[in-house]
Amino acid sequence: MTNNEKVLSVDNLVIKFNLRGQELTAIRGASLELYKGESLAIVGESGSGKSVFTKSFMGLLDANGRIESGSIIYKDNDLAKYKTEDDWIKIRGKEIAMVFQDPMTSLNPLKTVGKQVQESIELHQNLQGEEAKKLAVEILNDVGISEPERRYKQYPHEFSGGMRQRVVIAIAVACNPNILICDEPTTALDVTIQAQILQLLKNLQKKYQLTIIYITHDLGVVANVADRIAVMYAGDIIELGLSEEVFFDPKHPYTWALLSSLPQLGIKGEELYSIKGTPPNLFKEIKGDAFAPRNPHALKIDFEKRPPYFEVTPTHKARTWLLDPRAPKVEPPLSIQKMREMEVKRGERLE
Amino acid sequence: MKYYVTRLFRSFLTLMIVITIVFLLMRMMPIEGYFGSGFDKLDAGQIEAKLKNLGLLDPLPVQLKNFYISLLKGDLGQSITYRPKVDNTKILGDKLITSLRFGVASLTLSLIVGLSLGILMARHKGKFWDKFGTCYVVGANAVPAVIYYLLIQVFFTDIFKLPLLFDKSVPKSWILPILCLSLVTTAYYAMWIRRYMVDELNKDYVRLARAKGLKSKEIMIRHVMRNAFVPMAQYLPASILYTVAGSIYVESLFSIPGTGGLLVTVIQRQDNTLVQALVLLYSSIGIVGLMLGDILMSAFDPRIKLSHEGGSR
Repeated sequence: MTNNEKVLSVDNLVIKFNLRGQELTAIRGASLELYKGESLAIVGESGSGKSVFTKSFMGLLDANGRIESGSIIYKDNDLAKYKTEDDWIKIRGKEIAMVFQDPMTSLNPLKTVGKQVQESIELHQNLQGEEAKKLAVEILNDVGISEPERRYKQYPHEFSGGMRQRVVIAIAVACNPNILICDEPTTALDVTIQAQILQLLKNLQKKYQLTIIYITHDLGVVANVADRIAVMYAGDIIELGLSEEVFFDPKHPYTWALLSSLPQLGIKGEELYSIKGTPPNLFKEIKGDAFAPRNPHALKIDFEKRPPYFEVTPTHKARTWLLDPRAPKVEPPLSIQKMREMEVKRGERLE
Repeated sequence: MKYYVTRLFRSFLTLMIVITIVFLLMRMMPIEGYFGSGFDKLDAGQIEAKLKNLGLLDPLPVQLKNFYISLLKGDLGQSITYRPKVDNTKILGDKLITSLRFGVASLTLSLIVGLSLGILMARHKGKFWDKFGTCYVVGANAVPAVIYYLLIQVFFTDIFKLPLLFDKSVPKSWILPILCLSLVTTAYYAMWIRRYMVDELNKDYVRLARAKGLKSKEIMIRHVMRNAFVPMAQYLPASILYTVAGSIYVESLFSIPGTGGLLVTVIQRQDNTLVQALVLLYSSIGIVGLMLGDILMSAFDPRIKLSHEGGSR
């Protein structure tokens, strides 16, 4: 599915926020490469910096946030150096578009949904008036809205949550972007609708040749759609690999812990696994591996020196000292092995 | 459409009830109010003859019927003490129109200046214009109006050579009263539109509009302003109509022959029919104003109609 053409390459990105006179480091030197046509899922718990990381690609950080260092290379331009709105206008929508989490509030209540889709088209596709309207109706049809002609004239309050999310997606697609960032696209929807929306995104990806970044904490979503997975913890990507690699052969103790806390892997009658402790305080400088204090397998060096990326396969790498040849051999927890069996069975069923 | 009809019908019903209540309340007033200054000198026979003449000795239902009929004819009775034997409609007519003219002019000015200032404040939140506007809003509200009315009258007549008092035939003499009337309302409009816009700017749809590549100016114009205006639309017609009540300070300061303070005066002078006419007028204005406000709001916000038709929500 993936080829080797890079569309976006983020290197050593550091993002800081000023909060009540203190400085918070939200992203601590994260790096990522995005390939054309792939689906990448960024997973991690709340506050791990998933949203901030991707918002910085579009200049949508809150006013008190800034890119401290690092680069975001897109089409030979370094987006990290963009400052003014005029710079960002060239990127937003046209090159990178975004689908937000809550469809109930993401649409302007006073404009018809059709007009809101049309606005994207008029902004980015050089079409005006009737032509733009025709395309808007077509896109509404593409995102699975029946009777698009009639629905075009309706207002957001006449749509259900799932339908509104389709409209939000239509607005993003209507910009004709290269990259689509879906920030928790299904979190606010109920389970049956979730699957439909994910399927829709997959279909649109093919039709419009989109590169999609999913931001989610729902590993079910990830398993469904992602070609590659980036695991984020405390503002850094600690493991990155193909979907199968991260699910079946995770290397970082945080990924183990994250997967172990899936309810499906729990053993009946036993308490559900949860990661002990709390995420680190991002106001303070973090020394060593950010996960070390919560990591039962932490080594001495984990508290002293930040681990580099160790390559497991050419497509799979993780930031953990456990992968150092000198480290003691630590077996992943049993539940991870069980996961493997479950996924195999599931795969067979899907076939 | 159905919504408008229902709304219209309900307003009419409310109006009828209010009119009836006002009429019945007025019947409970002391009868001196129908006689003017000579009441003490009249004997019982004369009083009865006069009351009978006015139809006040008829049973209440008959009185009510007669009252409705004369209302339909546009007859509000004659004044008794304020300007004896003159039709109330005639007394009020000129005054109402004068006050309404000033009111509409000053409201238009406050809307234009207030909304622009408020929008400017919201766009530059926390910066110069916001602080400037806040100073003005606080100042206009904190300083008693009479003080700056006087200051305006004293200094502006001097500096700009404007007439001290209002004269219908001198267009220049409109300027100062309108300015005085606008000062506080401008501050209110600026404050409210700023508030509503800042609320709207924090909403998710603005974030989406930004993400799809709209400039902040376009977002303001195409998305935020209309949303911020909806809550204000409701009160706009009422505030326009209420200007017929006039402003007691400004009108007496510039000696404008308007309705400012008229109700208080006629109550003091016990002019029962004129009091009745004024109370009727003001309460109907209140009802009509609210109705127009609701209609205006529903014209701006598509969600309002549907909630009444039991739509899909």
